[in-house]
Amino acid sequence: MQRGAIPLCLLGACVCLAISAIAQERQNSLPAAPASSAAVPVPTGNASSATHSSAIPSHPSGGEEVESALRIEGEKRFRTNCGRCHMAPHKFPPRVMATAIRHMRVRATLTDEDMRLILHYMTQ
Amino acid sequence: MLLFADHHEQGRRLPAAAIQALPGRIRGCERWLLALPLLWITCQPLGAQAPPADDVKPVPLLTGSAGFITTFDGGETHLGPIVTPVVLLPLGQRWLFEARGNFESDLVAVPGQSGFHGSVEKSVDYAQLDFIANPYITVTLGRFLTPFNIYNERLYPVWIRDLQTDPLILPIGVGPSNASNGAMVRGGFKAHPAFDFDLNYAVYFSTLNSTEYIDSARFAGGRAGIFIPKTRLEFGGSFQHSLEEGRSNSFGFHAIWEPIALPLEIRAEYARSLQGSGYWAEAAYRLGQFPYLEKQLRRTQIVGRMQQSLVGASPSTSLFPTNMKMFEVGLNYYFIDGFKGVASYGREFSGDGNKNVWTLGVTYRFVIPLGNAWGN
Repeated sequence: MQRGAIPLCLLGACVCLAISAIAQERQNSLPAAPASSAAVPVPTGNASSATHSSAIPSHPSGGEEVESALRIEGEKRFRTNCGRCHMAPHKFPPRVMATAIRHMRVRATLTDEDMRLILHYMTQ
Repeated sequence: MLLFADHHEQGRRLPAAAIQALPGRIRGCERWLLALPLLWITCQPLGAQAPPADDVKPVPLLTGSAGFITTFDGGETHLGPIVTPVVLLPLGQRWLFEARGNFESDLVAVPGQSGFHGSVEKSVDYAQLDFIANPYITVTLGRFLTPFNIYNERLYPVWIRDLQTDPLILPIGVGPSNASNGAMVRGGFKAHPAFDFDLNYAVYFSTLNSTEYIDSARFAGGRAGIFIPKTRLEFGGSFQHSLEEGRSNSFGFHAIWEPIALPLEIRAEYARSLQGSGYWAEAAYRLGQFPYLEKQLRRTQIVGRMQQSLVGASPSTSLFPTNMKMFEVGLNYYFIDGFKGVASYGREFSGDGNKNVWTLGVTYRFVIPLGNAWGN
């Protein structure tokens, strides 16, 4: 009984996580509910609220400030995280960078926040 | 580096809300709770998980590295061409298939024959399907590099490693071909908004497989680490329990430190198992701070590594049969991004005798998009 306990537990955990993740994926693929699609507040500058897709470019004054801050933070995260293992590469085309950062998300266990900031910085 | 230093202080003033403007932010309390996989399962009805960044649609890639390393090992010349293509195939917003093959040869002079001779060794380093479930969990199925310490997973490719020789303790804890066949759960996340450090983890299970090119052993294990961005310090530990005869345990520790003030990288690992134990410690310094020949020197890197391996109670064929120490120094020159020339000298001290090990070669990392790289 004890011999197979560890692999069984790990296997069970993996199966549960996989099932749960797939269920979550399905849930997220459904049309967004009003609560979940609500705008993310951006209290910086003149910006009051916006979603990510529209927040950065659509605010003439606050948007530029946010954009600049995101770029600086993205560069910081880029150098901090990429440099841990290898020379920080030059910029690649946006779609190439999107694939590479997803690969690094898995390989180097980048955080979600780091991934987004680095991708944002590298695709500007 | 100076540009980054100027930006560093400004970057600290980034309002948290600005980052939250990126898609899929999760509130702090939920993030902490969701960090625990079991709680994550129960918390999913909250619907707080974020969709990945989907502003840019990823394109399939053929990438990888190639190199030609000449090794002079105790007076014997080895020619080592190596090609390791990597295929990255993003599927939808959360899936990624990634595979790496390895083709390398060890060509040596055969007495009585002209030229160098050898066969091409082929292997599948990994072929895995990743599902990025949420900011905290990525599920991986298939064949994957065993996450025991960090060298095997993150520093192994020839274009990344600073010294081209493998650490003596590399075989400890990674299985017969440095890879596992099975399942893995991993992730990295910020510990808490109040604490400026990231946590990362990997838990895996591997099955026994004796098929050529994709062999693996039966074991289970995990790795956990902490990364402190403020000081650029990462450290962690690994554990593995063999589920084959002997049922032994292996464990290891790793650390990476990149001081912000210097272009210096310090890395170290320790590993211990029934088969053997040992450590390696490596420092690499970019000569970018000298006032003369700045353009050339900032492309130049000097490396030093000290390592030692000790034979354990149950010696393995994958580890060296005698206790060994080795000291190496190297010089790398980065011609362009991804293309570098490498040279090193090492002195090996073992019970079988001491010898010199020289290496000289070039490495190249290539990236080829398999589609339109610019459009959406």
